[in-house]
Amino acid sequence: MGINDSLKYYWNVKVVGQPFLQWQRWQAERHPKIPSRWRTDILSPPLRIGARTKELISRHYLEGRYANGHRPVAWVTSGGPVEILQALGFYVLYPENHGAVCGVRRVVVDISTEAENAGYSTDICSYARTDIGSVLSGKTPVGRLPKPDLLLACTNICQTVLHWYRVLAKHFNVPLILIDTPFVYTEASDHALEYVKKQLENSIPVAEQVAGHTLDYRRLQEIIQLSKNAAELWLEIIGRGRHHPAPMSVFDQFIHMAPIVEMRGKQETVDFYAALLKELDENISKGIGAVRNERKRLLWDNLPIWYRLRYLAENLGEHGICVVASTYTNAWGELAPLMNKEKPLESMAKTYTYPILNQGTKYKLDTMKRMVEKFQLDGVILHSDRSCKPYSIGQIDQRNLLIQEYGIPALLLEADHDDPRAYAEEQVASRLASFVEMLES
Amino acid sequence: MRITIPPRKTVIEDIKDRGGSVAAVLPIHYPRALLRAFDIYPVEVWGPANVDVSLGGAHLQPYVCSIVHNALSFLKMGGLDTVDMLLIPHTCDSLQGLTSILLDLIKPKQPVFPLYLPRGQRAEDVVFLAEELRTLSTVFSDLTGKHPDNDDLLTAIKREEASDLLLRKLYDHKRQMGLSNSEFYRLVRSREYLPAEQFSVLAEDALQISAKLAPGIPIILSGIVPEPMEVFNTIDEMHGEIVADDLACCGRRLYQPGTSSEPFRRMAEGIIHAPPDPTRGNSIEERVKYLLKMAEDRGAKGVIFYAVKFCEPELFDLPELRNALKKHGLASINIEVDINNPLPHQAVTRISAFLEMLDG
Repeated sequence: MGINDSLKYYWNVKVVGQPFLQWQRWQAERHPKIPSRWRTDILSPPLRIGARTKELISRHYLEGRYANGHRPVAWVTSGGPVEILQALGFYVLYPENHGAVCGVRRVVVDISTEAENAGYSTDICSYARTDIGSVLSGKTPVGRLPKPDLLLACTNICQTVLHWYRVLAKHFNVPLILIDTPFVYTEASDHALEYVKKQLENSIPVAEQVAGHTLDYRRLQEIIQLSKNAAELWLEIIGRGRHHPAPMSVFDQFIHMAPIVEMRGKQETVDFYAALLKELDENISKGIGAVRNERKRLLWDNLPIWYRLRYLAENLGEHGICVVASTYTNAWGELAPLMNKEKPLESMAKTYTYPILNQGTKYKLDTMKRMVEKFQLDGVILHSDRSCKPYSIGQIDQRNLLIQEYGIPALLLEADHDDPRAYAEEQVASRLASFVEMLES
Repeated sequence: MRITIPPRKTVIEDIKDRGGSVAAVLPIHYPRALLRAFDIYPVEVWGPANVDVSLGGAHLQPYVCSIVHNALSFLKMGGLDTVDMLLIPHTCDSLQGLTSILLDLIKPKQPVFPLYLPRGQRAEDVVFLAEELRTLSTVFSDLTGKHPDNDDLLTAIKREEASDLLLRKLYDHKRQMGLSNSEFYRLVRSREYLPAEQFSVLAEDALQISAKLAPGIPIILSGIVPEPMEVFNTIDEMHGEIVADDLACCGRRLYQPGTSSEPFRRMAEGIIHAPPDPTRGNSIEERVKYLLKMAEDRGAKGVIFYAVKFCEPELFDLPELRNALKKHGLASINIEVDINNPLPHQAVTRISAFLEMLDG
């Protein structure tokens, strides 16, 4: 690590950037503004916490921009066991989150075209194409992404990440840690959990070598506890959706979930979710719902359609429909009970083997059914996501079973989480209209 | 063709007549010897091509590859009615999804067994896979009532290893045998359903043939599966000669014998140390090195990447592989296919132009 780089980091991040972002947040909190063309007749004003979310995310990318040379940098898959890297002082970047930011900012077509021009097929995951396009061209809406010193891919969300990170490893010529988590068709075997634990153990010396120092196990325990605390708070936040009207829609959850994905193991993340929970409780006590005239409540399955969040919120909100819960946002909280700082590697092995995406189609169907009951929902929208096969395969039968076996109205919506070229607005609008009509009949 | 290969249907009927069980096995890697030790005969399902895909389409989205679509369609149309079980290795997200919906939601009449294949070549990967195979062995014991001991397992392993060595020999002697690409690959692909002992006899017979063909334009074929098989006729007609391949159903399964005397570990070693394969997590560098060596050893002038549409494991590596080959003076083209469609005219034209270019 170089002195010049560290000076640059302190000046740009600590002296200039952070105070500016803090000031920006104070301004936004003191004089809250409703975004232009926000349908206040349908939706309540955005949550106040939004200013803090913006500050956190901006600060995260700002730190990344100046991290090279000052701190070791790791690029990690969203379901990756990040606690070891956090304990070793890595700056951790999640290319999937960057992909989501690109989706929200609607720059995916421009950036992924760079990858397609280099020969990457439009049939591979749009997050991966966006990331590779960004790596090849330097294009990003967040200023600049730091180069990785280490890559960590965990297969608990898909096999795509394995192929994607092999491309990154070749491009950057840096070590790739693979944490392979055997798929759980029914229950993880002892030897599968032992296998994951062994890989976690073996990842430590590799990460230590890149970081240049050894792992402090007490620090690891602290970070595991912080991860657990944040995940528990996130679960409570989602649970507030049981109130009528729901104080937060999934479209808000999709935005405010960023810290639980990319800033696990940090005190500021715990504080952030405590503040969000407080705001939701205030809104509940005042009877403020995310949708002004909530009449119907739905579940969302699969990743968001990042580039059409507002459109979907308004389209459904217009009919008094609030999408209250999601199997996707739930996934970032449901494993909190498995984390145990007293058994760091053992509990991490279990936690990172059991995400919903690493479990069978029956588990997902049962989760949907359980959430429909828990949140008293009127139906389910299953986003059939062209870029996410592990989440999407099975949805056709799951939809049919929800309708036929459980009497739960369900709609399958074809799209892609990041690439608007695989999304047809007219078709989506007409399918939503028919579904709404059916819900109201 | 001078070698008569028994058709798949006849082979299955013979096995059933002898009282054996048949397992339909999906791509790519699995322990043939383990199945045989329980008198279970593996018959592989790589699609097949040309089935009514609407049956699979009722359960799978259009962005799932045609191999998986066709396999499900084939199952639904009764094509696998004669088999006693399905074994589905965890090869990719699509096969993972297929296994999961078969176990949880669609439930065919036969039992379905998943097999997780680790994505690394590390010591812990061998240990894990050996344990997976041991677990599968317990499942087969419960199913068949048979309890092969270590000696039985090692006998089965050695029979498969002998057959694999003969397969390798076929590749080494392809030119001397004078088989066309079509003939050669029909023979090689019969390993997908012939019992090892039957395949070995066939291979020994083929190795006796000595009829030199005029050398063609030397190329390597890379991809998952060469379906539709018309691609070989096309290459034959244009005087292309496939001197080696990097196909998941063929060359990527030239397994080396394991070294351990412990049978489960030996089977795991065989699979894990097979030629580089993206579905088992081999790095792009390993694949580049392997392709370059293959090209050098066999004198190939170019590589045809023959990719099944929507196959992520193949598609991710293509740009880097092609760049690396280009740097070493090897030309390549990428042909994308849906195994349910006939070889498109455009693909024929492109292969033709590519071979002409190599010949020039």
